Amino acid sequence: MFGASLSRWTMSYFAAALAALLGAEVLMVAGVGFPSQPVTAPQTLVLVHLVAIGWLSLLISGALIQFVPVLVTKPLAHPELPAVALALLTAGLGSLLLGFLGMAGFSVSAMPWLPLGAIGLASGFALNLWNLGRTLWSARPIALPARFVAAGLLSLVGVVTLGTIFSLTLGGWMTNAAFLRLTSEAIPLHAALGLGGWLTFTAMGVSYRLLAMFMLAPEAEHRTSRIAFAAGAVAILVVLIGGPVCLLIFGQGVIHPLLAAFALALVSIALYGHDIVRLYRTRKRPRIELNARVVAWALGALGLAALLLLAVTALGPTDRDIGGVVFLFVFGWLTGLGLAKLYKIVAFLTWLECYGGLLGKRPTPRVQDLVNEPRAMPWFSLYFAGVGVASLAAFLGAHLVFRCAAFAMLIATAKICFELVLTRNLAAVPEAMLPNGHRVRLRLHLPIL
Amino acid sequence: MAQASHELDVRPILRSGGEPFSAIMQAVSGLSAGQALRLLATFEPVPLYGVLGKKGFDHAAREIGGGDWEVLFTPKVGVLAGPPTPGGAAASRWPEPVSQLDNRDLDPPEPMVRTLAAVEELQPGEVLCALLCREPVFLLPELGKRGFEWLGGFEADGTTYKLLVRKAAQREAAE
Repeated sequence: MFGASLSRWTMSYFAAALAALLGAEVLMVAGVGFPSQPVTAPQTLVLVHLVAIGWLSLLISGALIQFVPVLVTKPLAHPELPAVALALLTAGLGSLLLGFLGMAGFSVSAMPWLPLGAIGLASGFALNLWNLGRTLWSARPIALPARFVAAGLLSLVGVVTLGTIFSLTLGGWMTNAAFLRLTSEAIPLHAALGLGGWLTFTAMGVSYRLLAMFMLAPEAEHRTSRIAFAAGAVAILVVLIGGPVCLLIFGQGVIHPLLAAFALALVSIALYGHDIVRLYRTRKRPRIELNARVVAWALGALGLAALLLLAVTALGPTDRDIGGVVFLFVFGWLTGLGLAKLYKIVAFLTWLECYGGLLGKRPTPRVQDLVNEPRAMPWFSLYFAGVGVASLAAFLGAHLVFRCAAFAMLIATAKICFELVLTRNLAAVPEAMLPNGHRVRLRLHLPIL
Repeated sequence: MAQASHELDVRPILRSGGEPFSAIMQAVSGLSAGQALRLLATFEPVPLYGVLGKKGFDHAAREIGGGDWEVLFTPKVGVLAGPPTPGGAAASRWPEPVSQLDNRDLDPPEPMVRTLAAVEELQPGEVLCALLCREPVFLLPELGKRGFEWLGGFEADGTTYKLLVRKAAQREAAE
């Protein structure tokens, strides 16, 4: 057990992810994609993949490169591989988006953008999967939070496989009947595995550990957490295996495996919510920081999105209902959680990077001295207010209100990004406490070179 | 990793005027590798600390009321599962810690800050003991970078992480 070091590339993933989030919000303000256009329009695909891959997947990948070694107290198997993976992922995402723009009728030259995008993304994710998978494998038996991550990574395998099949088929590279069937009917499986299995389940696992760590709550493994894991993992398997089996072998639709997985996911989310409430209640830290307060809002959005999905499923969902729920899920829960955790993680990693070697040798600032929570908090409030209004507008089909709310989200996100830049530059640290007695140069993307 | 400790209550023997030493030694030899011994006695059994210390056990004692004591003897080798230390120093050759830090209730990363401040005060060859509420994953590489030797592991209760840090003696440090 040699402990964990700073991951050299995590900050690069975070910078690329935030750029994608801002880009997606600009598109929403401009009226591109849902709800101004249909859920299935190619423009919506541009928006969805910019958010799901560019923002959320890069964010979670960057966080995992840093935190899987912390979860299992083993160093990353290949510390430099994430840089190659990031280059492949961004190039692959760019190609994929160009492919969707081509489908929307924009002239984007005659390159096979969709298949190229699939190749880039599949290789980028494969490198990170290999790296994280080997790290987890070397640390067996792994604790519960790491098992959530492992199940999330398994889900990612499914997402990438299905996505690759779709892209190669739509790009005209494959005409196999099974692949055609998957491409026309398995999109809900792709979305459920991506948003539920990969992004949510992984975030749940990491949050068990991070919330306990930052709030000083006991980390005992409870039966409820084990059931939450089992239910979620089975839900992933039902979608991953049951979905294609129903579709290709039994010749049915995907609705039954999706409903079964949804029921299991509700059990998992309910127990997870119960566990997290217990963490908040048993914490030793009386005053909690901004990140833990904002995470509570994100958890509220997760609960609300789950209940709304239950309601619209019972009432017979329309595309607009599904779009509205997915919007609340992605921007209230995943993005809210992501921004809140970034606010803490960026400060902590910057502090460790700048002061790790000086601790105990001279006075150093605390992590909290690197941020200005009273200044940042209103922007988090504005962000969540924007998400609330935008979700409602998406349900009601009020396009103009949606775009105004998206503008509020954009401003709030930009301000939060600016706070992160200030943190990276130690702007709040007094002159006398700076590591070398002077301000460091801007190192936003490549922190530890 | 957290193996249930073997419990031995010698209070009945002591109350009846008997001598529990052989029962204790028998219990110790019956422990499996890495297993701890939880001893209940009517007084603090200080002489046992030396005897079992030589056999490779750490001790943690607390009064449990009514004048009775509970002492947990944990095997050093099994409990302190650290990496092989530079210079081949084994924990059993390390001197008793010169100071103890209880960092279990501090907000992160305060435990790391306090531990690093304390180890900077160590003289060559001296050992520091720090109690933490989780494995200090970011502290350990920093100790390595600064040339300290360390050994650490969870106590038998599974919630307290005990870390021993030693500053190398000058002769070793020069090597």
